Amino acid sequence: MPDIITGEMSGSEFKLEAIQTLNQHTGRVWHVSWHPEGKMFASCGEDRAIRLWSMESKNQWVNKVVLTEGHKRTIRQVTWSPCGNFLASASFDGTTCIWDKKSGQFECNATLEGHENEVKSVSWAPNGKLLATCSRDKSVWIWELVDDEEYDCAAVLNAHSQDVKKVAWHPNSELLASCSYDNTVKLFQDDPREGDWTCQTSLEGHLSTVWSIQFDSTGERLASCSDDLTVKIWKQQEHEWKCAHTIEGFHNRTIYDLSWNSDGYLATACGDDGLRIFKEEACIETGSISYKLVAENRQAHTQDLNSVAWNPIDPQLLVTCSDDGELKVWHFK
Amino acid sequence: MSHFSSVLQISDLDDFITPSQECIKPVKIDRKINADTKIKIQDDGKYYQENEGVLEKLEKVQITLADCLACSGCITSAESVLITQQSQEELIKVFETNNKMKIENIDGTKCIVVSISIQAVLSLAIRYELSPNDCAAKLSTYFRKLGADIVVDMTIAEDLALLESQNEFIKRYRAATIDKVNNVLPMLASSCPGWVCYAEKTHGSYILPFISTTRSPQQIMGSLVKNWLNRNLDGREIYHITVMSCFDKKLEASREEFSSKETNSKEVDCVITAIELEQMLENDNISLNSLENSLFTEPWISNERCEVLPNLSKHVGSGSGGYADQIFKFAAKELFGMEIGNIEYKELRNHDFKEATLEQNGNILMKFAIANGFRNIQNLVQKLKRGKSPYHYVEVMACPSGCLNGGAQVRSKSNLTSKELTHQLEQLYYSLPTKSPEENKIVMKLYENWLEGNDSDKAISMLHTTYRAVEKSVNALNIKW
Repeated sequence: MPDIITGEMSGSEFKLEAIQTLNQHTGRVWHVSWHPEGKMFASCGEDRAIRLWSMESKNQWVNKVVLTEGHKRTIRQVTWSPCGNFLASASFDGTTCIWDKKSGQFECNATLEGHENEVKSVSWAPNGKLLATCSRDKSVWIWELVDDEEYDCAAVLNAHSQDVKKVAWHPNSELLASCSYDNTVKLFQDDPREGDWTCQTSLEGHLSTVWSIQFDSTGERLASCSDDLTVKIWKQQEHEWKCAHTIEGFHNRTIYDLSWNSDGYLATACGDDGLRIFKEEACIETGSISYKLVAENRQAHTQDLNSVAWNPIDPQLLVTCSDDGELKVWHFK
Repeated sequence: MSHFSSVLQISDLDDFITPSQECIKPVKIDRKINADTKIKIQDDGKYYQENEGVLEKLEKVQITLADCLACSGCITSAESVLITQQSQEELIKVFETNNKMKIENIDGTKCIVVSISIQAVLSLAIRYELSPNDCAAKLSTYFRKLGADIVVDMTIAEDLALLESQNEFIKRYRAATIDKVNNVLPMLASSCPGWVCYAEKTHGSYILPFISTTRSPQQIMGSLVKNWLNRNLDGREIYHITVMSCFDKKLEASREEFSSKETNSKEVDCVITAIELEQMLENDNISLNSLENSLFTEPWISNERCEVLPNLSKHVGSGSGGYADQIFKFAAKELFGMEIGNIEYKELRNHDFKEATLEQNGNILMKFAIANGFRNIQNLVQKLKRGKSPYHYVEVMACPSGCLNGGAQVRSKSNLTSKELTHQLEQLYYSLPTKSPEENKIVMKLYENWLEGNDSDKAISMLHTTYRAVEKSVNALNIKW
């Protein structure tokens, strides 16, 4: 049972400990993203600022850079490129900015325009040449880097019937996933027969808005979290993605985000203020899988958790951010 | 699933979220309600007003497509409005009413005119395994059976559109190069209503000056039928139907610019698409193949109605009317005295973005492009905004592969991908004989007899149109995280 005062789960072999609270943002903090080398992370929020945090000493993260010139409205997501040289930011002003450090400091050197209204998410493909964005305008766009500076629109995908909440690429192939207010997750691939990107599959099963999705590091699993208070784990079986397990009964409000670490631990960020970590357990006899809650803090923040991200290098380190205006760095052991 | 092209789906033109709740259009209400009347909702959900004990049913609010086009909100009701105004059901109703009136010898029967576009004919030709001319001749029979008085080929309007476009290009080119006028080049094609509507709703005053003022073939057909064909009908009213490859054409026909305020009638009353025609044939249990052939009417010159065998032809360069090709060749000759035989198009990032360059001694004189599909429209618009467009003219169409692949073409019955089906349509189109619009004698006569010469006020009002940017309103209710 969780400890009432600290919200921590007792009786577990794992320990989840907040090691630092960062409160420089004003208003809701929407998203956090780790630099691929793990020594820095970026955050963004309704104060229209992007903050870059670096480790000063052990367990001490310091806000070194603030990027404010770029967006006119809330910044919903920031994402580092796989090479670590670019940062993409998606904003409710309908644009996506690409920041780089070519001039010595971070500057917005490309703006992707085209979405009709709020851009909700942005994601880099593993090769760093393709970028996906999605919007309240119900579309998913794929952008292609041309001549190392221009981004061309490579596809506009209208598969969803409602607001698209998040886009996420497969870690080692050009497979794109998106999730939406229409309760579905959709998978897209470039179809040489059509000469264009097409929707390959629609994953149905969630009963309400799907807020976030992420492939694990092997690319074998796709996790999705929803307003229906469940997380679904999708696995590819005979070329088809099927729901292999549903994590239910643990979350009391909408689950807004999730993140896999390199050891296969899955963290969830929930509207009930809780941060939870799950681990897959395989039943050898039946061949089925289940997920065990291994750590939990039910009062991780004082308001909704909007985003959670594991450090890509150190599988014991993760960051969360919340409507309460704070970011927290957590140690998990 | 929506039938509109993807550009319209994205510009909120086709939003299915509960129209009644989100529509912000103020509606005119006939004030029938006194201060002391009560409104009651009956068990069936209908509204009644109670006035001194008498119940009277209240009318539902009706939003027309024209309202939606003029509004920056959703056009949610579009689909339902289209269903009432521009549907197979409406068409059949018009035919049936008219036929009944004819039989009963009632005054006021309409003259029903059907204009058929080449793209729709080809789609049905493939569907029913007919040659294009046979398919056209059988469609003529079908419409005559339904009650059409006149069935015509739309090529005449395509030719007028090409000739007007090429002249407009020369004017714009000279204005830009000689008089240094801004915002006239590149000239952007105007025949695709999906693209035009998107530009008006999304890019407004920035892009609109570049869009050609020449009307699309459908709307040139509209003025030709309602303004010229009516000349010897003794005042009999015309009901004009067009057969098109694309659903967005219904939006175009509904534009305010294309209806007469005096007569309160639209130049094109009803747009019916290839896929809807297939549905109608199926509902009537008719196989197009089984119908006999009949003639097209050619009512443009002589006062006698001339009947001819359908003799379809193509325009070189694209299945969307061949604008880039025609204008390129004409401008090369007119501006630089160069005769161009075959234009070589260079495919750029994908097969839907091609460009052609006119060079002389290594200097680039003109650069044209064909940009189809929304992704390429995007890249073009962004290039324009950043001042990086190298083009003088761009043929822009909202559908990938252009009008032959229009959103309302008949779907494949044999599991072909849309790309393979489009390829078949292109093959069939390019197998048709070529006719240049300059050689169309009827068109030349129309300039003389109907339009009072080239460039006359009449020609401008009949063959050109205007655009208006739609102001965006921010509706706080729409904001969602």
